Amino acid sequence: MTLSKIDPRGPRFGAVITSVLMLVVLYLALEETTYQVAVWLMAVNTVFFAIGATLGNAKHPYGLIFKGLIRPLLSAPQALEDSRPPKFAQLIGFILSSLGLVFGLLGLDYQLGLIITVIAIFFAAFLNAVFNYCVGCQIWLALARSNLIKI
Amino acid sequence: MPLDQRLLLLTGLVILASIVGIWMISRSGLARRVNNGEQVDLSSLRTIKNGKPVTKFGEKLTLLQFSSEFCSSCQQTSVLLESIEKAHTGVLHIDVDITDKLDLAKTFNILTTPTILILNSKGGVVSRIVGAPKLATMELEIERLVNK
Repeated sequence: MTLSKIDPRGPRFGAVITSVLMLVVLYLALEETTYQVAVWLMAVNTVFFAIGATLGNAKHPYGLIFKGLIRPLLSAPQALEDSRPPKFAQLIGFILSSLGLVFGLLGLDYQLGLIITVIAIFFAAFLNAVFNYCVGCQIWLALARSNLIKI
Repeated sequence: MPLDQRLLLLTGLVILASIVGIWMISRSGLARRVNNGEQVDLSSLRTIKNGKPVTKFGEKLTLLQFSSEFCSSCQQTSVLLESIEKAHTGVLHIDVDITDKLDLAKTFNILTTPTILILNSKGGVVSRIVGAPKLATMELEIERLVNK
């Protein structure tokens, strides 16, 4: 893995958009007539997480928005951060989002499955955006210790 | 589901997430006294500092930090503890990356990173901090332990 540094405010900006998007998806998924729109948004969200998990947060669409529109308005960051922790968070997001998308595509019978995954992503994104919660710090070790991921 | 119920649900969710966040922040990085006779074996850490294996504890205290690769607050904590090491004589900071040393996570019962164990001059665990600590918390804890 190559060591690269990014502006820590980039991933947090992305988390703000993701948490708002998850609230929108939830709102639409709770109504039959708009359920398909929610599934479509979930598909877009899954693709975005896939980009973040493979190419990194800087290539993520929200990362590009941050770089193009937001960062020029801000002062220089106090410190840069390692790009690996937010990339790992994107991977966790991708896994959850894919699961939610599968539930969504299976139809209204699996509405509860979609709703639970959307709420899970909302929590992680919201806590990251507002409280600087670090998914990698909490989840990685638990996964590694339970032998779910091999290193 | 009717519109007003859906909006109520979303509002409730945001409030719940905020409460969880405040609860997590209030618990994270607090120092807890330990007095269970736990002893650290330096050689088991297999850790290098400034190009040399660590073979001695700090004269007064050792700040033993456990970090992992996917943890951004670990790096911030490492910077903080390095500055504390510089500001206090007899205080040694060791940062152990447990990404490839999961046996240590088991030995020291580490569930999240960063976790910091403060050790006395003989390597006995006297304090445990889970989550990134604030500078003030560390200063208070060091003062308490050094003056004991």
